[in-house]
Amino acid sequence: MRTSVQYVPGETLFHRLDPRSKIVFTLAMTGLIFVIQNLWVAGAVLLTLVGFWSLARLPVSVLAQLGKATIGIIGFLFVVQALLYPGETVLIQPVIPHCVPVVGGIGRVTMEGILFALLLSLRLLAMITVLPLISMTTPMHLFTLGLVRLGLPYRLAYTMTTALNLIPILQAEANVIVDAQRLRAFQVFEKGRFLEKLRAYPSLVTPLIIGAMRRAQLVAVAMDSRAFGASENRTYIQDIRMRFADWAFLAFSALYVGAASAANYLA
Amino acid sequence: MAQREPLITFDDVSYRYLGSKRYVLQHLNLAIHGGEFVTVLGENGAGKSTFCQTLNGVIPLSRGGRMRGCIRVDGRDTQKCTVADLAQKVGIVLEDPEAQLFTTSVLSEVAFGPENLGVDPEEILRRARWALEVVRLSGYEDHPPTALSGGQKQRLAIAAALTMQPDILVLDEATSQLDPVGTVEVFSVVRELNQRYGMTIVMATNKGEEVAQFCDRVLVLHKGELVGQGTPREIFADPALFEQVVIRAPQVCQLAHYLAERALPLADLPITLDEGKREVVQLMAGAPAPGPSQEETEPVASSPPSPSGATGCAAGGAWNSREVAVLVDDLAYVYEPQGVGALKGVSFAVRRGEFVSIIGQNGAGKTTLLKHVVGLLLPTEGRVIVDGVDTRQTTVAELTTRVGFVSQNPDQQLFAQTVEEEVAFGPRNLGLGEDEVKERVDLGLRMAGLEAFRQEFPPALAKGDRAKVVMASVLAMQPRIIILDEPTTGQDYRGSHQIMQIAQRLHAEGCTVLVVTHDMALVAEYAARTIVLGQGEILLDDTTARVFAQPEVLRRTQVTPPQITQLAQALPRELGLPGNALTVQQLGQPIVRRARGEPASAAAPG
Repeated sequence: MRTSVQYVPGETLFHRLDPRSKIVFTLAMTGLIFVIQNLWVAGAVLLTLVGFWSLARLPVSVLAQLGKATIGIIGFLFVVQALLYPGETVLIQPVIPHCVPVVGGIGRVTMEGILFALLLSLRLLAMITVLPLISMTTPMHLFTLGLVRLGLPYRLAYTMTTALNLIPILQAEANVIVDAQRLRAFQVFEKGRFLEKLRAYPSLVTPLIIGAMRRAQLVAVAMDSRAFGASENRTYIQDIRMRFADWAFLAFSALYVGAASAANYLA
Repeated sequence: MAQREPLITFDDVSYRYLGSKRYVLQHLNLAIHGGEFVTVLGENGAGKSTFCQTLNGVIPLSRGGRMRGCIRVDGRDTQKCTVADLAQKVGIVLEDPEAQLFTTSVLSEVAFGPENLGVDPEEILRRARWALEVVRLSGYEDHPPTALSGGQKQRLAIAAALTMQPDILVLDEATSQLDPVGTVEVFSVVRELNQRYGMTIVMATNKGEEVAQFCDRVLVLHKGELVGQGTPREIFADPALFEQVVIRAPQVCQLAHYLAERALPLADLPITLDEGKREVVQLMAGAPAPGPSQEETEPVASSPPSPSGATGCAAGGAWNSREVAVLVDDLAYVYEPQGVGALKGVSFAVRRGEFVSIIGQNGAGKTTLLKHVVGLLLPTEGRVIVDGVDTRQTTVAELTTRVGFVSQNPDQQLFAQTVEEEVAFGPRNLGLGEDEVKERVDLGLRMAGLEAFRQEFPPALAKGDRAKVVMASVLAMQPRIIILDEPTTGQDYRGSHQIMQIAQRLHAEGCTVLVVTHDMALVAEYAARTIVLGQGEILLDDTTARVFAQPEVLRRTQVTPPQITQLAQALPRELGLPGNALTVQQLGQPIVRRARGEPASAAAPG
């Protein structure tokens, strides 16, 4: 079962775009999401991204999983903002009356609070959909090349894209370790309560990190042996080229971000 | 070899790693000539990997540490070059297939090296075509490396080194993690590189039998020192060497030593199967002809034969959970969502106290089967009954009190800060009292011979010891059934035997033992019964002797019997020797007897 944001081969428009245009798009959208204050704009941006997701024919299951992973944070956000946001429209009266010093007013739920939580949640969801859009439609070596052509030194670009690829590797490794623990009658990750799971993390993280470090050392030897970073003028057997579709896409992105920002500030 | 300058020289080389006081290599002096095929043998920890990495400069240039002495490759001092320079002279293939593949397609993998060097793209493609052809992966250009088999991955790693056009190829235990098929693939490519393209090969390995066939010269390392060098025949003829360094010689050599110890030396030391056959036939030519009642005899079996699985307990007959440790009943398993059928109609029963091995090629379904027995997977069809309990009606944790599982990679099964805590982990999870836990920890450590390592940090131990810690941890849960999944992969000869001997001790105490392994010599030595899996089905389920007597069936799942059994099968019937000998002794003893004119087996026929 796919649990990661690794490359999914495909022939869609999104796949065939130059990595540079996708990178610029990602940066622009990320910037936009950061500044959005209006609920409707946030919703529109999220819908657009989901639209791109289906345009690129990416699996909905991954989207669902990304969503599921953030449910905890979203729930937390709702509770905190609903209770603490200084709003006017009170929906639920405070549990402790105002007249009580210090703790007076706690338990008050406001409409503004809930709406603010909704805004933050939409922004969060939009944020986590942006990067997979590019990582799942671009093979790693082209992603790296895109970054290089945009001006990043090769070694840095390679490190960044490799870090993305590490996620599925570590996930798979973590699953193996959890299974190994189950085989020693350790069920905390299956059935334990949140606090128990938290306390149990070192037993999972220690072998994971040690394994990762061991592997990193081996990988370093292998990469050195293939002259990684040897030449300033690295060549590439597959090159990338900006075509009409790319410029059109960039123009579209610029317009979109412009319009969204305007709507955001005007509202 | 022609008298010319050696390609590689070591001049009093010693090396210690950064932060370590111990010299891993000590005063090495040796020379390797162009076109030679050199094998480096030694125990785990002898310095083989370190040695390999000094050849392409990774040591000391990348890894630091302190190196004394001078290594010259093609006339140049390695400490005065860069790793990139040396990468074009010396290619290296490492042990772990996964760690040396970084890209998302075969083509980009082989292009990675020359791209880094700034080679022209057209030229890179040309080299890539050649390299993939040599390693027989043409046509796989677009495949993701992760989808390849172990043997294919290592061949890819070779190709990725070849595109930098080195004169020397170094293989650092490149076949340790491969199944026999993959091993043969790699050896055959390497041999072709040497013989057809004149490439110098330096290969560090533990696999004595392959070494004997292919290489020109052997270097033996022990604790960082060069304790022997010579042709394979010279090395394997030296029993004193094997006292000092525990490495595995080909079984035909072991047989020769066995016979020599009994005043029956063979004319020439055989190191390959064919030589073994020739020598034994020659030896027996002088022996009296076998009597008319002498037919092929069956060697003394190590334990009574057990019933074939299919006709045993599964066939709806009464089975008794006191008798049957594991019952697999018409098991089928399909991996979702690909819909790949990993197991089909698998049925067998393992009685309490049996020692069973499960063999078959990679992908045959062995690990999938084991996962069913411990409850990590539940059947798509059929059922698995362990210790009288249906796996679908219990949990993995509950099953751990009945069946212990030691899986292939010890590093993924170590969770604690000290060996003691590690071994206590399981019993504590079972909710036992501290006194009981302490007792079990003591017992586990004793069984595995690890008392001295109580306070050690498990990941810092040597490979063989890490595997033993895992075994001790599983033993502390006192299961009556123990499963070992490829326990000897990556272990040296001594480590492998220590692990199998722990299993044997457990068996002697009444445990039921299941072992999955590729090492046929170990199967022959330790397991009374063998189940052969091929493409998700059971091909054979019988005593080990009878299983190895059917090489045509075994071939279907890429298994060959141990060398000694192959030798026994190849010998002419008229010699009156057992055709299904499983160990050196089982063939050696009858040879000795026949040579003296006695009947081949101790028991008189009729």
